[in-house]
Amino acid sequence: MPVIATRGATVSYGGRAVVREVDLEVAPGEAVALMGANGSGKSTLVKAIVGLVPLAAGEIELFGTSRRRFRAWKRVGYVPQRTGAASGVPATAAEVVAQGRLAHRFLGLPQRRTDRHAVARSLAEVGLGDHAHCAVDTLSGGQQQRVLIARALATEPEVLIMDEPTVGVDAETQAALAKVVADRIEAGCAVLLVTHELGPLTDRLDRAVVLADGRVVHDGAPPRPIGEHADPRHEHSHPHANGESTDDFWGGK
Amino acid sequence: MSLDLSILNYEFMQRALISALVVGLCAPAVGVFLVQKRLALIGDGLGHIALTGVAIGFLTSTTPLWTTLATTVAASVVMELLRSHSKTSGDVALAMMFYGGIAGGVYLTGIASDKGVANLQQYLFGSLLTAGWSEVWTIAGGGAAVAALMLVLRPWMSAICSDEQYARVAGLPVAGLNLMLLMTTAVVVSVSMRAVGLLLVSALLVIPVVTVQQFTRSFRATMYGGMAAGFLIAGAGVVASAVQDVPPGATIVLIGVACFVATAAAASFARRVRRTWRRHLPPEGEPLEVELPAKG
Repeated sequence: MPVIATRGATVSYGGRAVVREVDLEVAPGEAVALMGANGSGKSTLVKAIVGLVPLAAGEIELFGTSRRRFRAWKRVGYVPQRTGAASGVPATAAEVVAQGRLAHRFLGLPQRRTDRHAVARSLAEVGLGDHAHCAVDTLSGGQQQRVLIARALATEPEVLIMDEPTVGVDAETQAALAKVVADRIEAGCAVLLVTHELGPLTDRLDRAVVLADGRVVHDGAPPRPIGEHADPRHEHSHPHANGESTDDFWGGK
Repeated sequence: MSLDLSILNYEFMQRALISALVVGLCAPAVGVFLVQKRLALIGDGLGHIALTGVAIGFLTSTTPLWTTLATTVAASVVMELLRSHSKTSGDVALAMMFYGGIAGGVYLTGIASDKGVANLQQYLFGSLLTAGWSEVWTIAGGGAAVAALMLVLRPWMSAICSDEQYARVAGLPVAGLNLMLLMTTAVVVSVSMRAVGLLLVSALLVIPVVTVQQFTRSFRATMYGGMAAGFLIAGAGVVASAVQDVPPGATIVLIGVACFVATAAAASFARRVRRTWRRHLPPEGEPLEVELPAKG
């Protein structure tokens, strides 16, 4: 039974189809990257999977249950795209990570010891154990991203769904993230990772699904970096030009 | 000027002090979530709607408290449905509440012309000094219920207020909690506006919270600190107004605004001093990942 299964999933914004008839399966313990250029519909597909945008057509199942009837959200760890600064009222890193335990708690009952342990463990796992009582808005962008990942880990999920966790974060965070995700894969957790670039994480993936214009154009082995991209010292920081030389973009060599 | 507190021996002053303290303590417990959700003006919006509720009370000769409660709760349900199911943005819905609430209040009191619009004034600015004991107990009961609910539900409410999308994926009853937040706001506004006034109750929802959050790091500290600050500001306001014989509602709000301005200035000054004294370096950025061309 797949952890995530979409059949003919179609999402449209204002009449324009952004995701078209996508069939995607993630098996238990499998690590899958969902790749594609900006605007290819990969984030929208993930939002549809977790139920944040409605489907225009098709069917989505989580753990074999139709998403409409799915209630076992504590089996899902979700890392949303990082959105700007924190909210209006300060909150510590531990308080944000504790939100990941709410799926396990009964409404109105206090935190139990297992909840506190899970929060501390998740923060330590992403390397922020010392920052538990820091206000989130005083942390750097990469640290804030790690807080969001720790929040998903605190849920102790069976599938980790991450929407562009490596956008705009420093190399240290990328490496830390790759290790955390690798540990989870070892432990048997399925991973669905939305990304538009190949990074330290791509080596640990079983499969990559590439979307273009809302359709699946590739489903198989993760793409390998070629040419200068294969050079380990290559810094992947230039814009993704389609076929044209990036040297010209910078005004020639 | 000597501080003469003998005026607190009068029973009307004790009633005024108790109602102000209760509202000061309980309003920030709801307000902290409104500030976090960037809905700081919603209390004012519901207060305007409450004017219509008061007018309905005049018109039907029922106790305004109950018609106000019914009207504001109904308005908060409509507002939440508008917000979640249509493209109406929060501030547009708020604008509609402001205009519609005032107009409805004036229109309906116009129909019940024997009471006159002058009566509405009393709800806008409150009349702490004419509140009876039964009103004080209504305020205390409503305030205690709201504050207890918010304290118990703090982690859930703060999750839906800070990151609603995540809260939905975590399986929280987001729609229900959103509705509860607006309804508790409606309860706070309507039980206390007769005594402390629409102006004051919406100020006490927001000012204590934004005052303490200049210095707090955690949500929990902001919530408790806001409640304590609201309590102190309300108490200081009533005492000051009694000593100087000026309207208590306005005094409380002015003290609150002064506290906010003072703490905001002090916080920015403190940050600057700390940076200079400890020679805090700015946080380390990413290493420069380009090779700078050699100067030639």
